[in-house]
Amino acid sequence: MTSQVTGPAPASAPPPQEGPPAAQRSLLSELTMPLVLAAFATYLLVGMLSMSVPESVDFPGPRFFPAVVTAVIYALVIVEVLSILRRRSATPSRDGHPTTTRGSTAHTSPAVDDAAPSVDDAGYEFVGAYEPATPQFSWRSFAWVVGGFLVFALLLEFLGWIIGAAVLFWCVARGFGSTRPLFSLVVGLTVSSLAYIAFDMTLGLSLPSGLLGGGF
Amino acid sequence: METLSLLLDGFAGALTLQNLFWVVLGCFLGTAVGVMPGLGSSMAVALLLPVTFALDPTAAFIMFSGVYFGGLFGDSTMGILMNTPGQASAIASTFEGHKMALTGRAPQALATAAIGAFIGGFVASVVVVFFAPFLAEFSTQFGPAEFFALALFAFVATSSVVTDSAVKGLLSLALGLGIAVVGIDSVTGIPRFTMNSPYLFDGISLVTVTVAVLALGEVIYFATTARFQSQGRMLKAQGRPWLSRKELREATPAWLRGTAIGLPFGVVPAGGAEIPTFLAFGAERRLDRRRRDPQFGKGAIRGLAAPEAAGNATTGMAMGALLALGLPISATAAIMLAAFRQYGLQPGPLLFERAPDLVWALLASFFIAMIVLLIINLPFAMVWAKLLLIPRPYLYAGITVFCGLGIYATSGSTFDLLMLLGVGLVGFLMRMHDYPLAPLIIGMVLGPLAETSLRDALISADGDASVLVSGPIVLVLYGVLVIVLLLTLRSKVTSRTRRDV
Repeated sequence: MTSQVTGPAPASAPPPQEGPPAAQRSLLSELTMPLVLAAFATYLLVGMLSMSVPESVDFPGPRFFPAVVTAVIYALVIVEVLSILRRRSATPSRDGHPTTTRGSTAHTSPAVDDAAPSVDDAGYEFVGAYEPATPQFSWRSFAWVVGGFLVFALLLEFLGWIIGAAVLFWCVARGFGSTRPLFSLVVGLTVSSLAYIAFDMTLGLSLPSGLLGGGF
Repeated sequence: METLSLLLDGFAGALTLQNLFWVVLGCFLGTAVGVMPGLGSSMAVALLLPVTFALDPTAAFIMFSGVYFGGLFGDSTMGILMNTPGQASAIASTFEGHKMALTGRAPQALATAAIGAFIGGFVASVVVVFFAPFLAEFSTQFGPAEFFALALFAFVATSSVVTDSAVKGLLSLALGLGIAVVGIDSVTGIPRFTMNSPYLFDGISLVTVTVAVLALGEVIYFATTARFQSQGRMLKAQGRPWLSRKELREATPAWLRGTAIGLPFGVVPAGGAEIPTFLAFGAERRLDRRRRDPQFGKGAIRGLAAPEAAGNATTGMAMGALLALGLPISATAAIMLAAFRQYGLQPGPLLFERAPDLVWALLASFFIAMIVLLIINLPFAMVWAKLLLIPRPYLYAGITVFCGLGIYATSGSTFDLLMLLGVGLVGFLMRMHDYPLAPLIIGMVLGPLAETSLRDALISADGDASVLVSGPIVLVLYGVLVIVLLLTLRSKVTSRTRRDV
């Protein structure tokens, strides 16, 4: 239930979506998160320095708590970066580690161990996890999903909900490797129209009508 | 007796046609989401959060409770059939559950899981009904120092106990705390970190962050990386979906032991149902080793029954802790807390006095949800597995559209949609690099509470820091925190060495 987002299990239990072995990621990729965090801490620091606080405010003023948080982020980012660097300078052959425990829970199960590329019932392609040596990362999918959402966010009020959401649906489906553009568009329009009927007309949330406006 | 009559009133409130509809809808949604590999109940609650503002609070929370418990019922289904637990709390059940399925006992495994979840949840609901009012009364004695200790407790426990890397957990927590300080300072009214933009005066909306991190970030992660990983193959479950008398006799003690292990963890903010499920699994294994014919490793029914009951017992109790103390022990509970706040309700001591109708209807709906879930899960687990036939591109495209819908409907501004995308990208990065997401949500929800109570305590004591560690309740809280840390450290070490049967 609830701890789905609490990240990996305490020990290395069989994670369903295990990332590629850390040692194989590029240094830049591993440092993105520490960089983002450091940037955020810097934003807080600049904000604290430019904040004007009247003299009359008692000791733990509006800057106290953020200062603690900022200091903690900086300190932990340094620790994290050091540990990344140390791990990388150590032997790069630690990729066997995360898969050993996984094997131990699954090796009695021939049906599951068979991780060869397969097409499941949904007709959706899965590529075996053990097969690719390099971490899979699809920039094309990234561009479709993120770009699609950006277009949706910026043009929603102009296009209106039905068209805007259909465009978003189509882009994301595309990013997930959907191969039937026309069918996706039909499904997208259906979903967005149904959402409009259910949430705007029935539940009374306000969604923009945009280009198709007036009629509804 | 007063409790009983209040509960009966609650049932009267929950059993209206309209509220029954929301419970059933919530149960269906929760189960559906739980069954989908990779989707968890926290994502479901996050997605529903903005939309439920169109409902009245009672209906909304009743639906949430259905989703909340439904996720638990649903997630073991895929763990058993495909060896892909949807959430961390379903991992312990997967070990023996999947082995049962492999030896041709899939329907019995599904039934064991459903009944286990039912017993755990039901007992927990009973305990909550009788225990929560006392807890709420007790917590009226809490002052700023106590609330600060409680928040600190939740921070340390969620960010370091359940995660592999304490550094990443704490970073995630600190990011949540940092996001929460943006906006107008509640004590002095000074705008903080807003760049003088009116968009930021109210701070960054918790709803936006939750949806961004738990749903949109997940979609981007799945699109770019996770979908290239193998998903395993589903086993067919055929045969009798009920248990023989012998199996019942075998599983019953395990259900009860699991429930007993799970209950106390619901009030300890140690990150949800993950630890108790592993503890219950470990306890059953130790007992099993003493028997003449050890079953573990061959698909032991007890190895599935105990963790399932423990997981749901913890989840049920967690609702009690949330209602009575205002203390969320997991991300899902944190989102529910956020939902309460959106309606202007503050869970905690006063909720039972201010909104008794809501509280008791909600508690009554737990029981209704349990029964509905047992009915829709026990015989129909295989029907739910058919949901896997929805093509992934459309499923995730639908989720994305829903993210946009929820955020735009609550804020009505392009700025919030862009914020959603920005935070979603951060959530995606965190997911990529194995940063736990729950500490971020808990940090954001409890950050303001921690800050204001810290400042209140210090200001009223003229800056004397010793006020934070004086008083029996505070000392007990810090004492329990130390014990919990030591215990989980121990269970981490032992579960690591004992995993391979």
